[in-house]
Amino acid sequence: MISASDLRLTFGKGTPLENPALRGMSLTVNQGEFVTVIGSNGAGKSTFLNALAGEVIVDTGQIIVDNQDVTRLPTHKRAARVARVFQDPLAGTCENLSIEENLALAIKRGQRRGLTSAVKKQYLGQFRESLSSLKLGLENRLGDKMGLLSGGQRQAVSLLMASLTPSSILLLDEHTAALDPKTAAFVLELTEKIIEEQKLTALMVTHSMKQALEVGTRTVMLHQGQVVFDIAGEDREGLEVKDLLGLFEKQRGLEVDDDSLLLG
Amino acid sequence: MLSEIAFYGALETGLIYGLVAFGIYISFRVLDFPDLTVDGSFPLGAAVAAMLIIAGWNPWIATGAAVLAGMAAGAVTALLNVKLNILNLLASILTMIALYSVNLRIMGRPNVALLTEETVLTPWYELDLAFHQVPVLLFVVVVFISLILLWRFMKSETGLAMRATGANPRMARAQGIATGGMIVLGVALSNGLVGLAGALFAQSQGAADVTMGVGVIVIGLASLIGGEALVTPSTVIRALIACVVGAIIYRLAIAFALNADVLGLQAQDLNLITAVLVTLAIVLPGVRNSVIGKLTRKKA
Repeated sequence: MISASDLRLTFGKGTPLENPALRGMSLTVNQGEFVTVIGSNGAGKSTFLNALAGEVIVDTGQIIVDNQDVTRLPTHKRAARVARVFQDPLAGTCENLSIEENLALAIKRGQRRGLTSAVKKQYLGQFRESLSSLKLGLENRLGDKMGLLSGGQRQAVSLLMASLTPSSILLLDEHTAALDPKTAAFVLELTEKIIEEQKLTALMVTHSMKQALEVGTRTVMLHQGQVVFDIAGEDREGLEVKDLLGLFEKQRGLEVDDDSLLLG
Repeated sequence: MLSEIAFYGALETGLIYGLVAFGIYISFRVLDFPDLTVDGSFPLGAAVAAMLIIAGWNPWIATGAAVLAGMAAGAVTALLNVKLNILNLLASILTMIALYSVNLRIMGRPNVALLTEETVLTPWYELDLAFHQVPVLLFVVVVFISLILLWRFMKSETGLAMRATGANPRMARAQGIATGGMIVLGVALSNGLVGLAGALFAQSQGAADVTMGVGVIVIGLASLIGGEALVTPSTVIRALIACVVGAIIYRLAIAFALNADVLGLQAQDLNLITAVLVTLAIVLPGVRNSVIGKLTRKKA
């Protein structure tokens, strides 16, 4: 379980470019939930994900992962519990290391690293097996440099790397946005398969409202650094993009009202 | 042409600069950390080894102490960068400048002679070899052992984490790697190797001098880049072999240039030759590729 409560974070505090990215953001994700997160540009989606991962440290608020307070911990100390796939297909892997070396890095995520050989013989069977599930023929290319792979292939391997060891939460940061539609569909399908098979708890940020409703078990919309609505279960069934847009417009209207109240 | 003594002399210094090139490979290539500390850690290694040998220490233990001193210098540079957020290049320049004073303090004077002292080379002179061949033999052994150890390290879990830190720090952090710690470890390791090179250089040349570090970074880089142009560094082992090959070829080229009377070059032209060789090493691979490209296009 992962729980964020009243997260607040302002970038460039005390400068003319002061930008409050998170304004009291709270969200609890239960074990086994697959939450899709939507919101317009600047809604705080990426900042929220970065705050959960440890890439940015919030000003105030609390982040609890599996009963441990990780609010002040840097990324590498959270890595044992938090797995991540980035938007940029090149960001999740090292291009000048081989496929097996990338997987060997991931299999030790969040654990102590010693002086024994990184790519151990006993790993190779597991690597081949997981790679063959991608059906990309990569199981025969363990020694190839990661840089030889296409963006879609690299993103698929990133996903595999994130699920190689257990995690409390898998963070997916618009991980299909930089891919062509066909590859994006493949990676999304793979994502659903892995999350279902391994019963992972996941948080997926997406730009596509359609995608947000089609996959996952719960949808959360962010606006101006807060959760504006949160739907799951029956309410979410049969909901369409236009319904979501309606909810969003309604929410924006309320925001305007708030402002006019303040000005008045 | 080269005399036999000049040839072995070039091999001897080439092997020592091979160790420097290993260090520069770790900082510049593995960690992507442009580190100029080496101009200070090379004479630091020489100074520490020389003073301890004069004080009666076993020369190997003195050399080991030089390695530790080099590692400490590297760690200072890395900590300035990681903990105090000073730009890596600037952090290394600060350490390098500080080491000039430190080295003078260690030696108490600008240079220290070792000619009459027992060094790591002394027992090897009893072998049935010519005087100028002995250091080459010993340094081949030292470089070979260093190469194997470094290669194994780069293939280890920690070594792989270090390579990921330099190549993609964000990904490395997401995999739970403490990237700051890796930078400290790597830059320390790099300067430890340079300290070793300095200690061996002082013992083979018979003196430690506070100015002996000037330009070590350029020579090390020349060796690294030249070696990479000759031996494509597609794997770790090839990259390490490239360091040694580059350093030896570089010293041979310098010796040849200085020995060839037709060129009319003298010892004071060394830095100019170095700069020209480095420029050629950087430019030539590109020229070679474009020539090969043109040739293959014609065939097609």
